[in-house]
Amino acid sequence: MRVVLAEDLYLLRDGLVLLLQSHGFEIVAAVDSGPALHTALLEHRPDVAVVDVRLPPTFTDEGLQAALAARRVVPGLPVLVLSQHVEQLYARELLADGTGAVGYLLKDRVFNADQFVDAVRQVAAGGTVMDPSVIAKLVARPSATTGSLTPREREVLTLMAEGRSNTAIAKQLFLSESAVNKHIANIFGKLNLPVSDDDNRRVLAVLAHLQGQ
Amino acid sequence: MVYLAPPRSLHLAPLCPQPAERKLYRMTYPRALLRAAVLAGMTVVVLVLFAVQLVLMAPGVVLGMVFLIPPPIHAGRVLVNRWRRMFEAWTGRAVPVPYEPPPPPPEPDDEGLYRHDATLYKTPRFPRFFRRLDWLMKDPATKRDLSWQFWFLLLGLLPLALAAGPLLLAAWTWIWGPPWGLPGVPSPGAWWATAWTALWEHPAWLAALALPGLVALPWTVGAVARWSAWLLAPGTRPPSSSKRVEQTLLGWVRCAFLVACAAAEVVLFAISLACFALGFGLGLVFLIPVANSHFRWLVNLRRQFAEWGGVRIPRPYAPQLRPELRPDGMYRVKNNLYKTETMASFNASWQWTWNDIASWRDLLWLAVDPVATLALVGLPVAAVVYGGWGLVFPWAWTEFFGADWSAWYGAVAGHRTLGLAAGLALVAVGLAAPRPLLVANARWTALLLRPTKAAAEEAALRERVERLTQTRSDALDAQAAEVRRIERDLHDGAQARLIAVGLTLGAIERLMDTDPAAARKLVAQARETSATALTELRDLVRGIHPPVLSERGLGDAVRALALDTAAEVTVAGELAGRPPAPVESAAYFAVSELLANATRHGGAERIGVDLRHRDGLLRITVTDDGDGGADPSRGTGLRGIERRLGTFDGTLAIHSPRGGPTVATLELPCALSSPKTSTF
Repeated sequence: MRVVLAEDLYLLRDGLVLLLQSHGFEIVAAVDSGPALHTALLEHRPDVAVVDVRLPPTFTDEGLQAALAARRVVPGLPVLVLSQHVEQLYARELLADGTGAVGYLLKDRVFNADQFVDAVRQVAAGGTVMDPSVIAKLVARPSATTGSLTPREREVLTLMAEGRSNTAIAKQLFLSESAVNKHIANIFGKLNLPVSDDDNRRVLAVLAHLQGQ
Repeated sequence: MVYLAPPRSLHLAPLCPQPAERKLYRMTYPRALLRAAVLAGMTVVVLVLFAVQLVLMAPGVVLGMVFLIPPPIHAGRVLVNRWRRMFEAWTGRAVPVPYEPPPPPPEPDDEGLYRHDATLYKTPRFPRFFRRLDWLMKDPATKRDLSWQFWFLLLGLLPLALAAGPLLLAAWTWIWGPPWGLPGVPSPGAWWATAWTALWEHPAWLAALALPGLVALPWTVGAVARWSAWLLAPGTRPPSSSKRVEQTLLGWVRCAFLVACAAAEVVLFAISLACFALGFGLGLVFLIPVANSHFRWLVNLRRQFAEWGGVRIPRPYAPQLRPELRPDGMYRVKNNLYKTETMASFNASWQWTWNDIASWRDLLWLAVDPVATLALVGLPVAAVVYGGWGLVFPWAWTEFFGADWSAWYGAVAGHRTLGLAAGLALVAVGLAAPRPLLVANARWTALLLRPTKAAAEEAALRERVERLTQTRSDALDAQAAEVRRIERDLHDGAQARLIAVGLTLGAIERLMDTDPAAARKLVAQARETSATALTELRDLVRGIHPPVLSERGLGDAVRALALDTAAEVTVAGELAGRPPAPVESAAYFAVSELLANATRHGGAERIGVDLRHRDGLLRITVTDDGDGGADPSRGTGLRGIERRLGTFDGTLAIHSPRGGPTVATLELPCALSSPKTSTF
């Protein structure tokens, strides 16, 4: 799987390259600035891009903007954005085009290599991965609709919005898969969402609903 | 965090009990009769109350005997509140208690002293008193109460007087004949004079006059009650017509007041002249500073009164000169040294008053003003007094009460009726004239009493230096506290955790070969610790300078903040560029604090934030639908915002009536630079 990597700190970039290579990814370009990332994305059209939000030359949200610009040219270009801090504002901008294949994670998540690599693969496959802290804030926000959910349904919703599959949710919550299915059906019913089998569509629907408030 | 909304019990304590539920007693005829009597009785109470308030307030305001002011107002509030509840029951309309919550008791500072304005007191007595005075006098509800009392005196007796007045007169006339020398000896021949005399000869006709009043009694009582309920409830403004009447009367009273002041000025000027004469003639030099400054209280009063004419006159005096105690025990005043404090103080007061140009301008004004003021505002006073007392009153006195005409009474060319017309015209002119005259008088006062240009500039500079000194020390304090907090957070948080990670790594190194299973467990632990350290660092960074602020600027940072707030926040407005980083940061934290306040203390569900930059001023308005009642003088958080904004000459204005909505406006003067954001 071909990966473009953008990270300005040498140590971290090197670590990420090693980590991804050891899991069988091919690094086609590892760049350290916004303009270089933009060029690399359009030139290589990778299967997935792993991008740090803050990059030279302005050290603002260069990485995010470059990724968004590239996605405007190549719709659905899979991008996993890494950041020292997560903002719902940025999550919203990433999800705005509705094509999926985006991820937004705290850099800390790299610590758990398996989970991180899993997230990269999921984004590459067109899935949506949101950092738990983004989801937690979204779900925690009191509203008319999420207020009617039971605590268990809330847990399931949180994991679902993070992009986990039903199997993964069942494993994490020590439930049977059919019980998870039932919870999900309940959630969709309570939130007035169309039931969908496709993991990504499901996540997008939930996020769109939560953000719409 | 700021204490935004004090609990209800504190709001309404101690004299503002809210009725649990409103009871409405329908108006029946007997009830109307009873209520008319109650209103009439109230008129007497209000008359006493109003008179006591005025009588005690006049020396309170004019002679500075402020301790006389609060008790009658306070007593008035208790009474008026009772009536509020009564009118609620009569009309079925809610008449909420409009008073501001009472001030909190003064808190001692570090030295155990109590501060009010620029003075420190040993006991809380005076600060508490001044706070209460401010609370009573600045509350618009006090004015509302007084205004109601004034009008009630005219209206309260009306229902009963209309209904029962003619009846009583008729009965009296029937039994004892017409009272008080009525009908008098009105000029014979006039049609009204005939009717008037006939009325008193037939008491039944007199009694018939009561009919309309009796029939309309429920309506008149209801009207007075509705009007009272309406005027006594907060948030209503008296109609412009009643306001105009009040203003007209007030204008005339003010003119009369100025004339009284002018009389006092003559006395004060004479005292000054006497002091100069004694000072220079008999060598009683200690009288010279007195001669120069003893009248300042009246002059300052007149400076305040200039606001009646729409002119604001600041006090022009140089700050008081005080002797300075030197290490060698001598007292220093400018370049002179004195052994005793008395001499030093005398010289200081001499220098202070003698060298101040304002003293001499005051003195000149004092000499000229009695004439000028009399010429400017004496006319309406004289017109009303002479027109009313000299022309209209004698006419009524002789016409209605049959008194003999005296040579003292005024007439026009021997015609009393012409005199009446002239008198009424004079009163009308006297009441209409004051406003422009007050303006003219204020301008004249400003001419000599305002600070000279040099003094004004110096005062402005002095004020600016004081403000800068204050804000600088605030900023330094805040910064020092911030640095201490960061140091403590790092020391107890991330630093400690990194040490733990280091120790764990050491243990892993030792165990790696001997006990790989235990080593793996420790690795997981180290990873967890470092993750916690990262979380803590992230929170710390957010508190110092939120990354989204540097990445996106104020507009998006506030939007990000809005998304993280529990309430529904809409952000409007866009900034064309970015304010300087420190200003941006101060504005961000101010908005953050305001949002937190609104949701935590105000219970707001909807909040609107508006960002705008115009004419070199960044203005952010935060509006919420919470409970209101936010007061910067109470909450430490709001004061913290004020201080932080003050460093940049920024201001925070809070408008937060009880029951909401709260509107907080913060303004920061700054220029916008072109945005420093990414190029995509």
